[in-house]
Amino acid sequence: MLWVDKYRPKTLDQVMVHTDIAHNLKKLVTEQDSPHLLFYGPSGSGKKTLIMALLRQMFGPGAEKVKVENRTWKIDAGSRSLDLELTTLSSANHIEMSPSDAGFQDRYIVQEVIKEMAKNRPIDTKGKKGFKVLVLNDVDKLSREAQHSLRRTMEKYSAYCRLILCCNSSSRVTEAIRSRCLNVRINAPSEEQIVQVLEFIGKKEGLQLPPGFAARIAEKSNRNLRRAILSFETCRVLQYPFTNKQAIPPMDWEEYISEIASDIMKEQSPKRLFQVRGKLYELLINCIPPEIILKRLLYELLRKLDAELKHEVCHWAAYYEYRMRLGQKAIFHIEAFVAKFMSIYKSFLIATFG
Amino acid sequence: MDDMDMDIPLPEELEFLESNSHFAEQQEEEDRHYYFPDLDPTAEIHESNSQQSPPPPDLAAPSAEPESSGHKRSCPPSPSPPEEEKRAKVRVAVEEDSSAAAADEDWLRYSPPPVPEGEPAVEEMAFEKEKTLSRYASEIDGECMPITAPSGNRVYAKLNRFQGEERVTKLDYNGYSTELSSEPVNVILERLEQEAFAKALEASSEGQSVLDVPEAQMVHERLWVDKYAPKSFTELLSDEQTNREVLLWLKQWDSIVFGSEIRSTSDDVLSALKRHSSIVHNQKPLNSKFPRMSRGPRWSNGRRYKNSRSMDESGSSKSIQDIWNAKSRNIGPPEPKILLLCGPPGLGKTTLAHVAARQCGYHVVEVNASDDRSTATIEAKILDVVQMNSVLSDSRPKCLVVDEIDGALGDGKGAVEVLLKMISSERKPDAGKQSLGKGQQERKSSKKGSKTASLSRPVICICNDLYAPALRPLRQVAKVHIFVQPTVSRVVNRLTYICNKEGMKASAIALTALAEYTECDIRSCLNSLQFLFKKKQALNVFDIGSQVVGQKDMSKNVLDIWKEIFHKRRTKKIERKSHRGKSFEFDSLYSLVSNRGDSNLILDGIHENVLRLNYHDPVMQKTVECFNNLGVYDLMHQYIMHTQQLPLYVYLPLVAITVHHIVSQVQKPTIEWPKSHQRYRTMMMEKMDILNTWHHKIPPYIARNLSASSFVEDLISPLLHILSPPTIRPVAFQLLSDKEKNDLAQLVSTMVSYTITYKTVKSDMLPQTQRCEVADGLALSLVPPISDFINFKDYTSNHNVLSVAMKQVLVHEVEKHKILQVSNDKTGAFTNGGHEVIETGTNNIPLANTNHATAVDMKTNENQANVLSQQLNANPTAVSPNLNSDKSSIAADCGKLLNMGNVKKPSRTSSSFFDRFKKVNVKGLQSNDRSLPEEATLDKDRYPILFKYNEGFTNAVKRPVRMREFLSL
Repeated sequence: MLWVDKYRPKTLDQVMVHTDIAHNLKKLVTEQDSPHLLFYGPSGSGKKTLIMALLRQMFGPGAEKVKVENRTWKIDAGSRSLDLELTTLSSANHIEMSPSDAGFQDRYIVQEVIKEMAKNRPIDTKGKKGFKVLVLNDVDKLSREAQHSLRRTMEKYSAYCRLILCCNSSSRVTEAIRSRCLNVRINAPSEEQIVQVLEFIGKKEGLQLPPGFAARIAEKSNRNLRRAILSFETCRVLQYPFTNKQAIPPMDWEEYISEIASDIMKEQSPKRLFQVRGKLYELLINCIPPEIILKRLLYELLRKLDAELKHEVCHWAAYYEYRMRLGQKAIFHIEAFVAKFMSIYKSFLIATFG
Repeated sequence: MDDMDMDIPLPEELEFLESNSHFAEQQEEEDRHYYFPDLDPTAEIHESNSQQSPPPPDLAAPSAEPESSGHKRSCPPSPSPPEEEKRAKVRVAVEEDSSAAAADEDWLRYSPPPVPEGEPAVEEMAFEKEKTLSRYASEIDGECMPITAPSGNRVYAKLNRFQGEERVTKLDYNGYSTELSSEPVNVILERLEQEAFAKALEASSEGQSVLDVPEAQMVHERLWVDKYAPKSFTELLSDEQTNREVLLWLKQWDSIVFGSEIRSTSDDVLSALKRHSSIVHNQKPLNSKFPRMSRGPRWSNGRRYKNSRSMDESGSSKSIQDIWNAKSRNIGPPEPKILLLCGPPGLGKTTLAHVAARQCGYHVVEVNASDDRSTATIEAKILDVVQMNSVLSDSRPKCLVVDEIDGALGDGKGAVEVLLKMISSERKPDAGKQSLGKGQQERKSSKKGSKTASLSRPVICICNDLYAPALRPLRQVAKVHIFVQPTVSRVVNRLTYICNKEGMKASAIALTALAEYTECDIRSCLNSLQFLFKKKQALNVFDIGSQVVGQKDMSKNVLDIWKEIFHKRRTKKIERKSHRGKSFEFDSLYSLVSNRGDSNLILDGIHENVLRLNYHDPVMQKTVECFNNLGVYDLMHQYIMHTQQLPLYVYLPLVAITVHHIVSQVQKPTIEWPKSHQRYRTMMMEKMDILNTWHHKIPPYIARNLSASSFVEDLISPLLHILSPPTIRPVAFQLLSDKEKNDLAQLVSTMVSYTITYKTVKSDMLPQTQRCEVADGLALSLVPPISDFINFKDYTSNHNVLSVAMKQVLVHEVEKHKILQVSNDKTGAFTNGGHEVIETGTNNIPLANTNHATAVDMKTNENQANVLSQQLNANPTAVSPNLNSDKSSIAADCGKLLNMGNVKKPSRTSSSFFDRFKKVNVKGLQSNDRSLPEEATLDKDRYPILFKYNEGFTNAVKRPVRMREFLSL
């Protein structure tokens, strides 16, 4: 197994990052009742690890024995009847699913699953918790209608079904749902915490880390623990024993965006913009989210800019990212940002050098 | 008073006589009628003063009296005919007077009520009339004198006196009755009469006006489109080359059409002779045939045919040769038998077809494919054209013109299908004839040929849209001519000529603007001009858009729309015209884009092509503006779709117009169809499917922590490094060092946990960028294809690529690992596995001393590989404690150790002599607690021999066998 899975904490006691949150969750669950929970934070911060540990704390080791189901629901929505198919992970006490995979029909999925869990509630509740847990992933990608339907459902069936919601950005979750959940913020781990985890793994694997090596990996990982551990394992595979100035291999798509930024800085013309468009399409084709592309592009451009233009460029990046989220064709807005940057930079060059 | 009465009737008589003679004098009579009422009121006034008011029944009596008095007076005179005639005329005049008097009475009743000042005026008028009456009396007296002057004078004077009195009485009675008792009733009656009279007058006047207007319209209201349609070839406005080619195509049919028609009518022969300069040989048989017809009377066709046969038989060899030549020449119709004219409306396609066909001597039969849509209807018409001739003496061969054929139904229905059947039916009989098959086949082919009709007349099809789906099969068969717009100057010349003829004032500039506005649509121009002419309006240059001149609502090709958006027309420098040009441009662009309706495609085309243009943009502000507008379109479109407010679609074409204002240039742009967005969407969906499929295959305890985005962002790039380590060597497992074994085990477990393996793929399938051994013809690539996610264009990743041998080793190890994992899962030995790990850990500590011994053993095993395999097979037979049996047992132990090493994750255990010994000891202790001291003594006495025997038997034989071994020892 990869180290990122091998050394993943399985219980709340083993959690190294977010120890205080784990402690609070443990106390919350030790009592026989817990509210709906909303875990939010960036990718690679340990949200799902905490959720899995929490479930184990609730239901014991049986929570780890899950099976994959490809279920089909028949839903009568007014005059129509829909057949929805979705993949879920389920154990005796909980179900995990990503309702946003159903596209624009996600509202029906949410309602039907919760109703079904309410119907199949256990009769004998001695020595057991009287509710089941439904884990919903990527709640921020749910449509607004689905979130509205979720709001009524989670109130009505709260006696039998507790929700654990997981999302990256809480601002995209409606306030009505946020107010009905206990919001647990899982922030990105600091570099010190990442270094601590890397040293722990090194000790377990019997590796000798040069001083400062773990810090360099942590810096490169952009405060993403998954990325840090994967980079650590990659360095181990490429070369061991480690050297002080060993090269940490970068992500390929980040390298590609760096090339795009270089192209933009070298020349500002419609012809160059056309070439940049081709490269942006390559990134989008490989399933890299457009928001990530725009953010990374901004980061790369800022590294090459003078201080005078940084603020303006950041403003326009935010402007076009907002429009990109409102719209549907991301290429229009990313390319508009690139054109705007070219215009600003070219004006700056002309004003500076004549 | 008596004198007055005697004078009054005389002018009346004169009036009647004059009316009979002259028409114009009627007006004068009317004037005199107006004067008469002036006399009567005075009489009424006098009588009313003298008499009292009579009751209503008295009215009937006075009305009866004049009739009786008339009859009595007529009896005494002599029965001479002229006198009677005169009296009859007088009676008629009297009746007319009575009717006029009634009208006058109506007027009189209104005059008395006014102020008494009116009375003296009335009296003055009466005096004037008396004077005039005296004149006429003298004339009448002159006429009456030659017949019977004294008796005539007396009789007329008396009649007039009595009639006047009766009238006065009537007037008095009427006046009194109205005033006293039933005035409202009478008033109502009078009003009704007046209304009826007025209606009659209006009806008569309307009738007159109606009669005049339609006659004028019928004379002048012919449409200019029909009136000035081109009648001859030189008047056509379309392209000269196209006109000539169409004419040439029709000429190619002459050999078939007119050659075969020579026998039927002499006129056709004459026309053919006049038009064509044929070879002398052709002329001779024509001349020879012609006198035959002239010699004999007109017989039936059968008889003519018989005569021709007899002449041919009796004729000389020259005539036979001529006939053969004619037949050979007749087999030459134009290869494309259908002509297809396509172009925008109003350019003269139908007119060209008609004029050219008439020029070549055909009678044009027009079939509109949009009117006759079913196959049966149009087939009948086409067959009529092809197979039949008119019976009239001046008949001509028919030419079929199928108009608006793009309106026909596709998919085997409509006009296109009929035409294609006829063309295909001709080819089949030819094929049948060519093939020298059996007699039966020939008979069948001949029957088919007779049944199906062949196309022996020219067919011209006319359409607007060449690429309509219904026309796809026809395009392959027909000869296509595409009509281009005529030049504006040519259209303007024609329009000027027509305006001069019709007397309409229009400047050349105005006509030019009109032609440009309608895109040289001559039909639209003429209709607009005629409409304006009827409205008495002059054609105004600046108000063409606002005037009734309208454009046709048609959708253009998308490529043309993009060209219009990126292309700027040269505008004149005059300010007003430029202003008009801008508004005109906006309207035309808006109608273009909105009529197309597919705004998504239009905007994609703009996005694709806007960066290829060469516009002046030093600081790239225009480019930024363009992309901002594209962004606005995206936001608006998404909002419309999300909120379902479809009326907002009206504003979407404005984005295209804005882009036009920003980047349009005079030079022609090169447009490409937008493909990149569609390709991006397709490939992205493919890769997303790959990710989702892979996500489902991964075991849930790993997959639950990952999402699709984290796959791409965080996992794939490091994973590819991990899967292809540079330190692994494609060597046998036994030769690897401890570290290398650990690394390999780690790699295999990673691949198994993420369900990654290598599979053979044909070298052709692989992309060229990948390194593969082409010589082998096979290459191993990752399944699922993770490396595709970092295959960016013009990007070379620095990932290590494993050799084929190494990949094969990994495939083998992965398969083995999966099998073992399945078996382990079945036994469910998680806890035992944990214990084993602990035991191996403890055993590892004292291993250092015995490493050399194990190395020696491994080497000997390798040296005797063949011998080992044979001895393994012979193991059950051999029982004696020989050296061979010892070696075989060692080999088996090695294999087991290999498996154990693969299964256990922290497989650091190195196989050694003492490890196996200690394991056995531990197991023995656990299983046999009672016999501990005995085993100890045995071990002490026979250390090497006892160990070997125990090791073999414990692995191969059950417990009872073990006891026997103990006894034997």
